[in-house]
Amino acid sequence: MPFTAKPRKFSAGIIEIPLGVGQNAVTIGGGNVLPLYYFDNPAKNPPAVGVEITDTGVEAAGLPELAAYYEGANTPAERAKKAAAMEGADFVCLRFEGADPGGLNRSVADCVAIAKEVVEAINKPLVIAGSKNLEKDVELFSACAEVCSDKNVLFLSAREENYKTIGASCALAYGQKVGAESSVDINLAKQLNVLMTQLGVQPQSIVMNLGSAAAGYGFEYVASTMERVKLAALEQNDTMLQMPVITPVASETWSVKESIMPESDMPEWGSLEERGIEMETVTASACLASGCDAVILRHPTSVKAIAALIAALL
Amino acid sequence: MALKGLDIFKLTPKTNCKDCGNPTCMAFAMKVAQGAVSIEKCPHMSPDALRQLSEATEPPMKTIAVGEHKLGGETVMFRHEKTFVNKNLFALYLCADMSDADIDAKLAEAMKVDYERISERMYVECIFVNVSDTQTAERGIAVVKKAAETGRDIIVRCKKPELAKEIVSAVPVKVLVGADASNWEAMNAVAKEKGLVLGVSGKDLSELYDTIEKLEAAGNKNLIINIGGSSIKDAFAAAVQIRRAALKDNVRAFGYPSIVNVERMAPGDHVLQAALASLFELRYGSIIVMGRMTYADALPLYGLRQNIFTDPQKPMKVEPGIYALNGADENSVCAITVDFALTYFVVSGEIERSGVPVNLLIADAGGYSVLTSWAAGKFSAGTIAKFIEEHQIESKIKNRTLILPGKVAVLKGEVENKLPDWKVVVGPNEAIQLVRFLKDYK
Amino acid sequence: MARFTIIGERIHCISPSIREAMDTKNPEPILKRAKEQIDAGAAYLDVNIGPAESNGEELMKWVVQLIQENFDNHPLCLDTANRKAIEAGISVYNRSKGKPIINSADAGDRIVNIDLAAANDAICLALCSKSGISKDNDERMMYCQEMLERGMSLGMDPADLWFDPLFLVIKGMQDKLMEVLEFIRMCTDMGLNTTGGLSNISNGMPKHIRPIMDSAMLAMAMMSGLTSAIVNPCDQRLMETIKSCDIIRGDTLYADSYLEV
Repeated sequence: MPFTAKPRKFSAGIIEIPLGVGQNAVTIGGGNVLPLYYFDNPAKNPPAVGVEITDTGVEAAGLPELAAYYEGANTPAERAKKAAAMEGADFVCLRFEGADPGGLNRSVADCVAIAKEVVEAINKPLVIAGSKNLEKDVELFSACAEVCSDKNVLFLSAREENYKTIGASCALAYGQKVGAESSVDINLAKQLNVLMTQLGVQPQSIVMNLGSAAAGYGFEYVASTMERVKLAALEQNDTMLQMPVITPVASETWSVKESIMPESDMPEWGSLEERGIEMETVTASACLASGCDAVILRHPTSVKAIAALIAALL
Repeated sequence: MALKGLDIFKLTPKTNCKDCGNPTCMAFAMKVAQGAVSIEKCPHMSPDALRQLSEATEPPMKTIAVGEHKLGGETVMFRHEKTFVNKNLFALYLCADMSDADIDAKLAEAMKVDYERISERMYVECIFVNVSDTQTAERGIAVVKKAAETGRDIIVRCKKPELAKEIVSAVPVKVLVGADASNWEAMNAVAKEKGLVLGVSGKDLSELYDTIEKLEAAGNKNLIINIGGSSIKDAFAAAVQIRRAALKDNVRAFGYPSIVNVERMAPGDHVLQAALASLFELRYGSIIVMGRMTYADALPLYGLRQNIFTDPQKPMKVEPGIYALNGADENSVCAITVDFALTYFVVSGEIERSGVPVNLLIADAGGYSVLTSWAAGKFSAGTIAKFIEEHQIESKIKNRTLILPGKVAVLKGEVENKLPDWKVVVGPNEAIQLVRFLKDYK
Repeated sequence: MARFTIIGERIHCISPSIREAMDTKNPEPILKRAKEQIDAGAAYLDVNIGPAESNGEELMKWVVQLIQENFDNHPLCLDTANRKAIEAGISVYNRSKGKPIINSADAGDRIVNIDLAAANDAICLALCSKSGISKDNDERMMYCQEMLERGMSLGMDPADLWFDPLFLVIKGMQDKLMEVLEFIRMCTDMGLNTTGGLSNISNGMPKHIRPIMDSAMLAMAMMSGLTSAIVNPCDQRLMETIKSCDIIRGDTLYADSYLEV
């Protein structure tokens, strides 16, 4: 007796959201099957891979390959160009590490100048990530949204505490896309989307950042949250959870012990760079399998591997 | 395939006698199909009907033992629905065609990875030896012997029944992979004689299904499904479709664990192999065969596995005790927190990032987070004092500064009362603030 | 679990404005009621064109296309005693957002509507009665089985038969309500889907009482496993009850603003 697999398509689907403009645009989301289940229905848009750079420079201590990749790129715009040219890169994420008032405290005006240079320099969509300081990000995002007003930029992220101002400026005033960030809390993830839409932000302008963790560091919560979000979106047709999901993987994985402990301290662990790459790659792959529509990575080797994985599944 | 309600109904006496407690035979049949009641509730079933039905009441996925390890036995597609039961295993790929030097190097490299993480031994549990059709029995036996010397469970892949028989007769092996539509009878004979788990494959899912049905009819239910091929797309599709058919559509023939070979899908590309291994950990690979296993591969992959196979109802716990970080000694400051594994990892990670030597004290708090265990009375001044006494902290550590988690700042006074010799300091609310806190404190 | 399926009942030829709209092919009143119900959260809209013996086929096609073209192929429940009209409706139905529902079959003459559903891959509401009201649950269960057997022997997925116990009116048959709930529980235990015209229970009651009574009945029926109901989605109290029960059953994810979505 022949076996026929039953395809499992849903009548509900994930919202499609374009980032960037014109020929440079990339669309994330779309599709009506569980994550990566393209045998059930061909992919509408494959998951996108972003490359993260910061305003402060390349943190490449102990990472010779990464340092070599960015060699000669001395400004954020030059680094952004190299990031955009990386094999497998779909978009660039500029993280304003230096804007943190607890750190370099770079002024909003200086950040805006950097954002403008970067967005002009690249031929790929731009995602702007903040300093993680709630007040500073409000100001920073609003100013950056204005100078990038015709570039369809995604801002990461609005949180429960500051979604009103970020939603109003980035999405409503300047027509940009906004990330809705929660920390591995599915009820809050939904609530934040409800609040943002009540504010008047269209679901088509919202990308969820559900929070993440490096592999081994409580990733079960991340996996289950992403899986439950996708099941609610598709199976229960929950329109408040049908926004695509973006996960800044690099910022989680490059700070855990496995990715920072120098080889001199842990000789049996071997090359620091290789450890960091695999931590980033394994975490990104697990995010994609669980339901993430775009990942943000740092290392060219990880970007290449994850892009190859996605291509192989299409 | 499992019987549907209507099929079961046809086997019932159709008398609506209600002896089973249901209003009608159809209602009873529907419940049996759901697994809600057992067929034995009907006292009037014929023996023949019962025999036909026994299969439908088996669990949807069998549990298969490989050495000391168990595979399969899963009941849900996603861990949040209940829990995953048996974690996947890792296997190192070897081929009898490789040179001895290569084989020795790969084995030596993989054997170095052997460590403990939250009370779990992390190592390559299996070694997978591929013996091609053209290989000699002597060579096959020699390589399998070499692999077996490691003490790990051995999986042999060989598609020639005579060759396979010679090898498994010479060396103790746990799994024999290589049965397909063309050779299943002979391979089955070899596996059964030696009591091995038999790995079976097909050119597509239909052929695989047919072959498994034949093997089951021949009395072998000690199987593992070899998701073969070099196409990543096909392997992923097969892994999901097989598991889904078994658990959601009651396709009994697919109710077996799986083996996936990522070395074959991405030969020599270790980073892509790591990405694939991660994918198959989450999506239904039971044994994942890798081209190598180094710490770079193991640290993220084993950590991920430990996460994913944690029962959502039972938080992961670390052993209570003193964890000396950044070279802390008896004169270093103490910081105390709970034994919830995630808390431990985040706090220890941040302390390590600060570079400040700290004795991290992990108290027995039932495996809950700081606030949850505090609310439940498992992390209080009393339990902290008891912990300090039971673990003889005062005789092991001379420093008398104790940093409390900021979230339980309310405990400061009580802890000072119970531990009068100690200087109690309230730490930050969030672990992420620890680096600055410790640097400032120093 | 999928969330509770609300079938909006307000496009019904018994309403004078709808009847007139159907007679004169005036889209406005129909579109207005469709929009109200969709906005209120109706997953399906019931389209009752009445017996429509003379022009049923053409009328059903017109309504189906009218609503689906204006509301992104919203799923519909085709409700008429005229089988040809249902067939005609299905022939123009776009199923991209959900299969059509046939309203309805019973264990009597209308059992052939199950054949129609099986032939067209449609969902079929199955009223557990033959002629008049079933006297007890044994009788309901017998009809339930007859229809289940028929559907399954024609290759239907049992999940596509939604059994209707017939919600009986409290004013007159108060002593039968627990029996109705028990029947829903029996179907639930068999893994079957259930539905029905819920507001029938409060027929004849004062207007301000009806939403209260309907909500209480609905909560008890959902506890018994009811998976769907034909209701007025513009009844706010009822909708709040459904949304809250969906949360408690775990069929919708909780968020503080769950009532607002």
